[in-house]
Amino acid sequence: MQFLDEISESVPALRRYARALTRNADRADDLVQDCLERAIRKQGLWAPTGPLQAWLFKILLNLYRNDARHQRRRGDHVPIDSLLVEPAVPAPQPGRIALSEMSRAIDALPAEQREALLLVVLEGMSYQEAAGILAIPAGTLMSRLSRARAALRTMTGVSEEPRLRSVK
Amino acid sequence: MSGNEPEVTEALLLGFADGKLTDAERVAVERYLAQHPEKAAEVAHWQRQNEALRALFDPAAKEPVPARLAPRLIASRRAGDSGLRWPQMAAAAVVLIALGASGGWLGRDLVFPEEGPSDILIEDAVSAHALFVKEKRHAVEVAATEKDHLLSWLSNRIAHPIDSPDLSGEGFALVGGRLLPASAYSKAGPAAQLMYENAAAERVTVYITAALPDGASAREFATHDTLDAFYWANDAITCTVVGDLPEAQMQTVAKKVYSELTRRPDVTYRDL
Repeated sequence: MQFLDEISESVPALRRYARALTRNADRADDLVQDCLERAIRKQGLWAPTGPLQAWLFKILLNLYRNDARHQRRRGDHVPIDSLLVEPAVPAPQPGRIALSEMSRAIDALPAEQREALLLVVLEGMSYQEAAGILAIPAGTLMSRLSRARAALRTMTGVSEEPRLRSVK
Repeated sequence: MSGNEPEVTEALLLGFADGKLTDAERVAVERYLAQHPEKAAEVAHWQRQNEALRALFDPAAKEPVPARLAPRLIASRRAGDSGLRWPQMAAAAVVLIALGASGGWLGRDLVFPEEGPSDILIEDAVSAHALFVKEKRHAVEVAATEKDHLLSWLSNRIAHPIDSPDLSGEGFALVGGRLLPASAYSKAGPAAQLMYENAAAERVTVYITAALPDGASAREFATHDTLDAFYWANDAITCTVVGDLPEAQMQTVAKKVYSELTRRPDVTYRDL
């Protein structure tokens, strides 16, 4: 069945996004599992004209927001070591941002900015796709990205030497 | 910046850092950055942010996928077990799934706030449904035998003319309706609930309020336990169709209600 194969192809990306949002491998996979179950249950409602991946991300994001709201209400505390999913990394090379620093900084961002930035940077979504998934106008997306960038820059230091290169 | 250079906006700079520009735009931004070292430093930092974010989280996408996340397995398990369980989310309130294709939305000015009036209206419609469908003698305040009176009364009270959708083609007859108070938390006024029933004594309710103050368009689909809710809003009304019919049947009914209550012929159910 093609629908299921197409979903399979999106699973790694969904896991990555969920992991980056939750910072907890188990919670992230729980969210992805819920997302897949819902998608399979509701596949009849999916208009085949739209991109499947965007629809999956939208479901994931809604589940995540709901879960986050629920956890906030419960005052849920997750053991701190399960939150740290940083890979073992060597000290940053000159001109790079220390990953531990970035890890803390991304957590400190307002949720709406984090959701937007991770869709664009991590998942490589176009601005239009990201705005569609977040169900916000393109201008709102750009201002969220801009604020996220500025906040991350403040939090991860601005003193490094510029090392500009062109990205195709 | 010289006079004939195109204006380099913040959005273009962000697009440059994210690699989202056309070749021509990229060249223009490069030229601009060569003359604006402070901006160049900022953009370079954004690029390092991207590197760091990918270094942190890309590994998660390369890990072997556990069996429980295999769509085929989930689908086959579902086929053998109709009572689906939602382990972690069972206690969560209404879980919203916004449907639709991302691309088409941008031009339509549809905004789904994180927890907006629509969530409250959907919850109200779902709880009103759950409360009254169980009733036998008191399911409605005014029965369908007094349909004209029912509709003029409800139209008056919600301050918007409504007609009862004709669902006879779907096998549902109007049972009647009732007036429900405005929710303290939404900006909508009082609601009219219309109840329908088919030969198998299955019931669907249609929950209608006058438009929200902003009159914004929205479409959402929500599930709450076994109940499905289709919600939409436009500048005339908000409407939520609630029921626990099989999926395909629920869709057909919601589609019919939508087409009957929507004034604009150019908006199709597909857009939901």
